[in-house]
Parts: sequence; structure tokens; C-alpha cells
Amino acid sequence: MRAATLLLALLLAALPFPLLAGQTGTASTVLGVSVEPDSLYAGERVICTVRVRHPEGTLVSLELPDSTALEPFYPVGQKHSSSMLSRGLAEERFELELAVFGSGSQRLPAFALLFRDTRGRMLERQEYRPAVSVFVRTLTPSGMLELRPLKPPVDPDFPFPLLTALLLAVFGMAGVVLLALFIIKRKVRLFAETVDPAQEARRKLGKLHNRLSSGLPPAECYAELSAVMREYLERHYHIRALEAVTQEIERDLRKLGVSSFDAIMNLLRQADLVKFADSRPSAEETRNSTRQAEEIVSSGRSGSH
Amino acid sequence: MQHAAGLEELGREIRDASRFLDLAEEQISSRIIGQKEVVHRVFIALLAGGHILLEGVPGLAKTLIVRTFAAAMNLQFQRIQFTPDMLPADLVGTMVYNPKDMEFYARQGPLFANVILADEINRSPAKVQSALLEAMQEKQVTIGSSTFPLPEPFMVLATQNPIEHEGTYLLPEAQIDRFMMKVIVGYPSYDEELGIMQLAAASGTIPEVRPVVDAGDIAAARRLVDRIYVDPRVQRYIVDLVVATRNPAAHGLASLASMIEYGASPRASIFLLLAAKAHAFLQHRAYITPEDVKAIAYETLRHRIIPGYEAEADNIRTDDFIREILQHIEVP
Repeated sequence: MRAATLLLALLLAALPFPLLAGQTGTASTVLGVSVEPDSLYAGERVICTVRVRHPEGTLVSLELPDSTALEPFYPVGQKHSSSMLSRGLAEERFELELAVFGSGSQRLPAFALLFRDTRGRMLERQEYRPAVSVFVRTLTPSGMLELRPLKPPVDPDFPFPLLTALLLAVFGMAGVVLLALFIIKRKVRLFAETVDPAQEARRKLGKLHNRLSSGLPPAECYAELSAVMREYLERHYHIRALEAVTQEIERDLRKLGVSSFDAIMNLLRQADLVKFADSRPSAEETRNSTRQAEEIVSSGRSGSH
Repeated sequence: MQHAAGLEELGREIRDASRFLDLAEEQISSRIIGQKEVVHRVFIALLAGGHILLEGVPGLAKTLIVRTFAAAMNLQFQRIQFTPDMLPADLVGTMVYNPKDMEFYARQGPLFANVILADEINRSPAKVQSALLEAMQEKQVTIGSSTFPLPEPFMVLATQNPIEHEGTYLLPEAQIDRFMMKVIVGYPSYDEELGIMQLAAASGTIPEVRPVVDAGDIAAARRLVDRIYVDPRVQRYIVDLVVATRNPAAHGLASLASMIEYGASPRASIFLLLAAKAHAFLQHRAYITPEDVKAIAYETLRHRIIPGYEAEADNIRTDDFIREILQHIEVP
């Protein structure tokens, strides 16, 4: 009985090891390998996270191959943390910081997970080749192996050439419009100049004559007569007459040596008397003045100055 | 042509009454060579009841012009040299105690004269300037509790030196506005200077000036000036000119809009009209024309337009604005 009990005890004592060993081999699971970011420039770094679930009491470590096998990845740093999930089950989390070179899609390198017991004896070694890739964009030759500092991607350049072209187009258009305006204005001015000031004045004086016959008050007629004469003098003799007082016109005409100087001044002074001194000319006087103005204009038309 | 009732008669009266001005001009020119424009402006101010601010460098006979004018016009003249330590009482007078009667009596100051030469008005502080300008406006002064009317005609000719600003008190715009005209006294021409030199060297003393008129004639002339006919067209022309200084853009002078800080006040329209009437009187006319307005536009407007920063930076003067406006506003 005692021997049977001892045997049973020995059996029970020996039982857990193969069971645990078998359990370790089957219960340790790589839950996942993730990488972030999945796209980067050559020389930048990715964080590769490996999560492993295993029975409590087992020590797990991650072993990377040598640097030649790792290429184009270069280990920069590693973090390890573990947590208890439930009784008898734990989870290990390995964070590998890897610098990446080369170009195009690069598959993560293979690594090994080593399981040891609490006394450091190797229980199991699992090789793992994750099916995760990162895409390496290259700004430099793919053979570049120098680490570059982390920096945000550069914003695309302001399209200065486009803006310059746009501005040139706008200025060009504006130039064309201004040129068109200048040409139109010049044509209008040339056309206005071709209209003979004497002819224009005679037309206006004729109309004034008709209006006087149809009852235009003589005082108003004189005011208009003065305006017509001033406009004529300004355009014909190229002097400032519309904004000038009679004395200024007198001075300018005297300088030019106009032949009908006396008649012009007489007419303007008469108009001044009517406009500013409340003089009241008769209709006959007004008609005479209009006729006189027509004579001045006709004599000036023959170009005597 | 039938002329307006009364205007021909008024014209005759003006020709008769304005003769004294020709005589006065003769008298003045016996002592003053050149500066005829200044003398005309002084006549205009006398006839229109205005005051003048004379601006010019020292030695241009400003004081002599005014003294000679007063002598020719038979008017009481008083020269007051403005200084920084002056008090208003030095101008208007003060109450003085008489121990004999044991009473205070008002002792009138030098302001009680017909023609006052306020020499270097900008050398005295604002309170003295204000006292003078108040007298100019009200034509009376108050000493103690008594108010005394100033003699008629009462005319102030103030001088200021444009180049020396050390120790001066700039006249505020509101006070400058009370002067009818600001006359710039310029240098004489070459020939005039030659004449001045010969006159001064030959006699060594100032030639005697004979009075040619009395206060009654001046008052009569002023009444005639009041009767001078002003056509509504000319009135509108005056207002057009003054309004153009305030709102140049509205009158087609957009280039001046940023140059002028403040335009002329309504007082400018009033003085422009009064001065134009006096100018017509000097021309022996019973009506005013735009020529009269243009003739005195610079003197009447130049101290009422405040140039902006841009104009000052470009060294553009108010006379340039006035020239631009006169050349742009259509004459009736």
C-alpha cells in the first residue's frame, strides 16, 4: 500500500513537467506583428510591435538575426513589457524601433522567440517570419545607409512658376486693354480735332440765332454766346479760355497777335456786362453781337494768327 | 445797351469816391518803392473792413508800408511789438486806481487806434493773441466792467516772420481764419531795390507823407462798396472755389483730395466776396467780375487751407492748390 502510494506520488510529481512542456509548446502564441507607419522615406524609422501570449512562469525573449540578415532594416532601439492577462496566462509586448533603408516594399525581417523557464533553461525556440511589409519611398540613392533625423515630410513648394505665368498673363491682358483704350482715346481725340472748331462754333451760333428769333431772352443769349466764343477760342487758339477770366483771355490773345483781337474783346466785354453788371441788351443788339461772333469765327477760320 | 438801373449812377459815384485811393497810392509810392500789390491789399482790407496778416522776412518795409498808409489815410496809427512776456492788459488797457478821486478808471491800451500794426504777432502767447483777435472780431474791448467800442475804421495788420520759429507761438487755425487776407511780402525787384537804395542814401530821412483823406471819406467809400452789384453767377463761382478746397474730388480734382487736410471755412466765402467787392471798387467798377475774385483768391484762401502730410512731404504749398483750383473751376 505504502509502495503504491509512493509510486502514485512519483507519477504525479513527474506528470506536470511533460504536461507543462507540452502545454508550453502549444499554448505560446504570437498574437500579431504590426508596424507603424507602413509607408516612409528611406532612413526614417518604423515601430514594429510583436505581441506574444504564453503560460505564466515562462520567460520570453526576442532574438533578431545578425545585421546582414536584417538588411535593409537596422535596429535602433527595443522596448519590452509584459502583462498578466488571467491566472496562468501572460502577454509579452516587444516594440522594435527599426531604421529602414532601400526602396519599395520591404518585408519585415524574421526573428526568433526564445522561451525559458524560471531557472533560465531553454524550453523552446520559435522562428517567425511576419508577413508584414513597409513601403519605403526614397529621396536619396537606395544605397544610402546613413541615418537621417526624423522630420515631417516637406510641404510641396509654392507653385511660383505657375504664379509668375498667371501674373504675366494678367499684366499682359491689362497692357492690351490699356493699349486698346489709349488707341480708342487717341482716335476719338483725333476725330474731335478734325472737327473744325470754327465750323462747330458757326453751327452753335446759327442755332443760337434761331433760338433768339424764337424768343430766347437776350441776357441768356449773351451768356451762351460768351460760352460758345470761349470754347472756340480755346480750341482754335489753344489757350485756356473756359476757366479764364476776360482779362486772362485778353492777355493770351494779345501775346498771340490775333488779328480780330479788338472785336473778340469787345464781344467778351459786352457779354461780361450782361452777365455780371445786369445790363439788358435789346434783341437787335444781341442779334448784332451774334452776327459779329460769326464774322470773328469766319475770319479766324482763314487762319489769321 | 441798357444798363441796370442805378449801376451806372453807382459807377459814377465810385469813380468819384475812389479817387482818394489813387492819391493815397501816389503818396505811399513817394516813400515806398515797389510793393504795390501789398498796398492794394491793404486798401482792399480797409474798404472791406478786414484785417491782414503780413508774412515776410525782416527788412521788407512792412512796418513802413503800414505807417505810411496810416499817414496817407489820416488814420491814427499804433505799433505794438508782441513779446513773450506780454499780457492782454498791455493791449486792451487796464483799470487804474486814482488816489485823488479814490476811484478806479479804465486806462485804454494801444489797441484804441485806427490802424494797429501787431508786429511779430506770433511772439506772444495764445492769451494775448486771443485778446487781439477778439477785438478784431467784436470791434470792441472790455476793461474791468466797461465795454469800449474801438474807433472806426479799425484795422489790424499783423506781421509774422516765416523763417524764424524759435520762441514763437504758432497762431491757431481758428484765429488765423479771422484775418481776411494773408499777404506774402516778397523781395523787391532789382530796379526797385536800386530805387530804394538811392532814395535812402539821397535824403537820409523818410519823405513826408500828406494825408489825402479823412475818416468820413473812408466810411462813405465803405458804404459804396456795400452797394456794389454781385451777380448770382459770381456768387456761385465764389462758392465753387471755396467748396473745391474742401472736396476737390467732387470738382474733378482727385489729385488734390489726399493733399488737402482741411479746406477753407464758410468765412472764406464771405471774405472772398467782400474782398472782391473792394477790388472792384479799386477798379472803379460798380459790379464784380470773376477777375475780381481771382485777383484776391490767393490772399483770401491761402491761410485757410491746411495741407495734408502728403503735400508737406512733397513740398506742395497752399498756393499751388489754389492755382490748380482756379485753373480748373470753370468761370461763369
